Amino acid sequence: MDLRLNLQNAVIKYEEKIIIDGVSITAGPGEMIFITGANGSGKSTLIKTIAGLLPLASGKIERAKKISYVPQVEEADRNFPARVKEIVMTGRQRPGKLFYTQRDKELVRDSMRELEIEDLSEHELKILSGGQLRRVMLARALCGLPDLLLLDEPCAGLDVESHKILFEALKKNLARGCAILMVTHDDSDLAGITSSRVINISNGRIL
Amino acid sequence: MLELLKYPFVQRALIAGSLISFCAAVLGVILVLKHYSLIGHGLSEIGFASLSIASALNIPAVVIATPSVIAASFVIMFVSQRYKTAGDIAIAIASSAALALGIIISSLGSASSGTSSYLFGSVLAVSEGDLIFSVVLSLIVLGAFIIFYDRFFLITYSEDYARSLGINTALYQLIISILTALVVVSGMRITGTLLISGVIILPAVTAGSLASGFKSLVILSGLVSLIAFIAGLMISFAFNIPAGAGVIGANTLILILVKILKLKIK
Repeated sequence: MDLRLNLQNAVIKYEEKIIIDGVSITAGPGEMIFITGANGSGKSTLIKTIAGLLPLASGKIERAKKISYVPQVEEADRNFPARVKEIVMTGRQRPGKLFYTQRDKELVRDSMRELEIEDLSEHELKILSGGQLRRVMLARALCGLPDLLLLDEPCAGLDVESHKILFEALKKNLARGCAILMVTHDDSDLAGITSSRVINISNGRIL
Repeated sequence: MLELLKYPFVQRALIAGSLISFCAAVLGVILVLKHYSLIGHGLSEIGFASLSIASALNIPAVVIATPSVIAASFVIMFVSQRYKTAGDIAIAIASSAALALGIIISSLGSASSGTSSYLFGSVLAVSEGDLIFSVVLSLIVLGAFIIFYDRFFLITYSEDYARSLGINTALYQLIISILTALVVVSGMRITGTLLISGVIILPAVTAGSLASGFKSLVILSGLVSLIAFIAGLMISFAFNIPAGAGVIGANTLILILVKILKLKIK
């Protein structure tokens, strides 16, 4: 079985302080893993490291090539002059590829339809609500057809209907072989996908 | 006023200045959105120091100015990105130290009039060589902007997201640094080192009040800059003031008018 993620004995430090201490996680195709834990336990640091945004102090990591990451909070300024469609399209960018293709446009359209944000396509980012922005970020991640999808509290700010739409989309991605790691605080998320694993992090270690 | 166009130096200044202004404003959009607004100012001071050294050593200005401004641009952007709050400090230190160095060298050496024309800008200073340099530079900047447009958009919007996709953000940072440095070095001739940052930043800010979406912002910024440059050059001829001051004056006036109009519409 081709692993989508193979993380072994990961140690992650922030300014010499150990945040994650010896964590190992493997994820195969179609596998759903929830990462839970109290505030400050190191969940977001762990997922950022898997996304390639933070370095490992020690340990080993092997990842699928096609990764999509949905951060807990979008880094960009809400007043950034961009339309929803332009933001979602960035999910189709990959190293070595400079121009969008017709297929990219179709996948973006499909992804926006799946998350029911088609009507927002030409809207500017600054007029979106928090929940709408989150759906845009999810559409951007899903249109990349990732082999490994990393979600940091994707349900924060979503209403019941949006929550349902998200989980339907995640199930489709699991079915096509995508492995998903989702950081969550909300136990009700765990019921969203029954055949899943739960990893509980406390003080940087797996309980 | 149209009679002026028959003079070769005016033709050179108009063509070179229009091209550089357009390119500067296009790049200015990225710099403003990435909160690197002061970088043009910092780089122009470093350019001034380089020009003073070149003048003292009696070698062509661009030979020293181009590599040193490119290097400084990359260092400032790297420091700004790595140590989020230190970017403005890095620019302040680099620009004041470079300006002091430039003045010291100019004072000690044979204080050439060339360095003072770089400080305040001069349309008379635009040579045939400068014109060719401006045309080539503009083709490079606009070509790079078209080829890397989608990448520049992504990097400007969110570097973290770009990195999570496996994109080498440092490479694109370097490309933006080089393009910015080239624009600064070539623009210093006309507007002067003290005012080139305004040519980079002001049109992007003006366009930001009018445009909707990134692409329209980029195009509008370039057009605003072009209009402001031509108007500024005419003002400078009409009132016999340095071109750089005329161009920045026109840019500032357009910005104020746009802001007032927007307030009235609201």
